[in-house]
Amino acid sequence: METINKISWEIKGDIGIITLDNPPENYLVQPEFVPLEILRKWTSYDYLKGIIICGAGKHFSGGGKLENLFKMIRNKEDIAEKIDKGKEVLDHLENLDIPVVAAIQGICFGGGLEVALASHIRVCSANSLFAFPEINQGVLPGLGGSVRCQGRTGFPGALKLIMSGDMINAEDALELHLVDFITARQKVFDFTLSFLQKLTRDRPLSVINAVMKALKNARSLSIQEAMKEETRMFCELALSEARRRNGS
Amino acid sequence: MLEDEIGRLELNSPPSNKMTMEFFREFATALDYINSHKEFRALIINGHGRHYSSGADLPSLLEEIHEKAGTDKNGRLTNVPEFLSNNYKSLLLLESFRIPVISAIRGVCLGSALELALFSHFRLCGEDSVIGLPEASFNLVPGLGGIYKLCCIAGEVTALERVLKGSTFTAEDAYRYRIVDKIVPKRQLIEQASGFAREVMTDFRVEKRSLYIKKYL
Repeated sequence: METINKISWEIKGDIGIITLDNPPENYLVQPEFVPLEILRKWTSYDYLKGIIICGAGKHFSGGGKLENLFKMIRNKEDIAEKIDKGKEVLDHLENLDIPVVAAIQGICFGGGLEVALASHIRVCSANSLFAFPEINQGVLPGLGGSVRCQGRTGFPGALKLIMSGDMINAEDALELHLVDFITARQKVFDFTLSFLQKLTRDRPLSVINAVMKALKNARSLSIQEAMKEETRMFCELALSEARRRNGS
Repeated sequence: MLEDEIGRLELNSPPSNKMTMEFFREFATALDYINSHKEFRALIINGHGRHYSSGADLPSLLEEIHEKAGTDKNGRLTNVPEFLSNNYKSLLLLESFRIPVISAIRGVCLGSALELALFSHFRLCGEDSVIGLPEASFNLVPGLGGIYKLCCIAGEVTALERVLKGSTFTAEDAYRYRIVDKIVPKRQLIEQASGFAREVMTDFRVEKRSLYIKKYL
């Protein structure tokens, strides 16, 4: 197990696990989350088929401590740079070619919710709570959370969450499409691990990578470009499958 | 086939109406024909007999790709064969039609067949249909925009799950995922598709899709 910024990394089989490890509320100590080069190193193992992000103990994460942020600003630290780095880190997660799943329980606020939103799939336990409390201190989600939230919940949902700063529970989060699955209390990690293992177990990495790339293209390319790329990836896989069948 | 201004495009190689190389060639010709004949005011796509289609004929498709794909000296793909690009371009052409295109799905609708249905403007689905993108179980991925379309229609998480699992699902699941617009009794499938086509074709605009579904389905 490796730990940096109170965030730890371990590998179980072919699944990597990022744990927000600052109990009880797992506050993020740096706006940049994990340094990009560390995250790159963690996620570069070529046998990994998926990643889970979870919190240590009862909660996912309370996000960043705004008092810390304000203190950093008073000490004239370069906050803008740190936030830009944080965005790069979450972009890196979102652009990985293997599925990233957030396993959420307890509180999932602010920066914690932004990390969850940068994952491809969100699983939460029935006792989870979600909020963007930034507005109460006169600021906004800074790591791309407002954009990603809108992508998941649509404009009205994102507006309500971000403008009100109100907390919502797991069922409301599911209704809003902020999360994708709800599990019983205490079961979220086991469910997520088994879900991810079942999803990837029988699939070669080449297929997993192609599916993830095609989904990324659906987010970022025009339909013509995305289809051209999808056909190319299909063709590559078909070529190796044809060779395999021919025994060459 | 043309009945009262409604074109019928039938996948016709029973029992499972596999989409062979020949099918895709004829399909492209048929689309050009429909596109250039203004008497068509709607198009229904269905399968002959009990099934829509079980999708591409994999062994012949793999063989054809093996033969025609351009590769470098290390065997890496450099050029996608033209016939494959033509196939996805046909689906783009279908989607760009100014007349409503309705897929009437029953029985199995798998792989490329589901991709064809996803590029139709509307999908009616008979009860007990078996639907899916099973490509991943053959170490492949959907290659005609199926991932793209599923992502747009059903969302990224459903697309990820359904494509990686590769397992089939029911008409009810498909309806829940918004992949099909209505489930109808099998025997009424074509009749209902025609009735719907007649309603929609009078002032079809693709951006009013959800309005037509609410009003006429």
